[in-house]
Amino acid sequence: MAYSDKVVDHYNNPRNVGSMDKSRTDVGTGMVGAPECGDVMKLQIQVNSATGIIEDAKFKTFGCGSAIASSSLATEWLKGKSVDEALEIKNTDIVSELALPPVKIHCSVLAEDAIKAAINDYKTKQGAPVSAETVSH
Amino acid sequence: MFSGPPPTDYFAIFGIENKLALDVEDLQRRFYANSREWHPDRHARAGALQLAYAEAASATLNDAWRVLRDPVARAEYVLKNAGFDIGEQRGKDVPPELLEEVFELNMALEEARDGDESAKAEVGRALTKFEGLLQEIDVQRDGIFVAYDANPTRETLTSLRSLLNRRKYLQNLVRDARAALA
Repeated sequence: MAYSDKVVDHYNNPRNVGSMDKSRTDVGTGMVGAPECGDVMKLQIQVNSATGIIEDAKFKTFGCGSAIASSSLATEWLKGKSVDEALEIKNTDIVSELALPPVKIHCSVLAEDAIKAAINDYKTKQGAPVSAETVSH
Repeated sequence: MFSGPPPTDYFAIFGIENKLALDVEDLQRRFYANSREWHPDRHARAGALQLAYAEAASATLNDAWRVLRDPVARAEYVLKNAGFDIGEQRGKDVPPELLEEVFELNMALEEARDGDESAKAEVGRALTKFEGLLQEIDVQRDGIFVAYDANPTRETLTSLRSLLNRRKYLQNLVRDARAALA
């Protein structure tokens, strides 16, 4: 299967690879996986708790090119957004940006799940009530 | 002699009930007995229809034996017949604490591939752990088999499907870890 140019670009030059100290209260960590293909994705955000703006985002993904590209793109999009804006990111946005074929849509779902899990973790650490939308999915 | 077309269902071709917990030795005895009886050579002079039935019965029996002798393939056969989509993505089947360990193992695998010898020891430790988890899953699987046979509900099949997905996940990891250590 041919990957789109954008997928290849993110795969060859992944943005924001790395990790943050997950014990920090201003860091939210999302760890998600897809049993079928064995993908595992860790996505972290560092939030300015005064402004609620995501100042940094990091990821590390073990999986196919589309999974790596989806999470790389997600970290790019997350930076500079408020936590609430970040919750608006949908997997379909990732699909259209990266031109993912139908068999790779689950990679974008994984990235969306990772964003929600990271925000959820951040909110839990901040002691905020966790909205139903971020947990049930 | 066949009184009609032989069954196409894998349990029916063995003449046994639709059960998940099977006695594989009994299954093997039935396989040999039926194979002899239905061998097309024994039906060659009984007419074209009888020969066609014998060939169909033998073919189904071979497929059924390959599937039913293996607990995982058997479970997948029962799930598929119940309308479950085996290949469906089920991210929630993997508990978070397991994901952490999967991630750590992948990190160690990457380092080991890059030539870091100390990472190999970590891969080895993780491999032992994941092999243990696989064994636990097989024990759980056998428990679900017995529960389903006693009371065949969809809930039981749903939990079986989750368990098999988790098993596949772990098996892929174990395979990668073994390859890295070889």
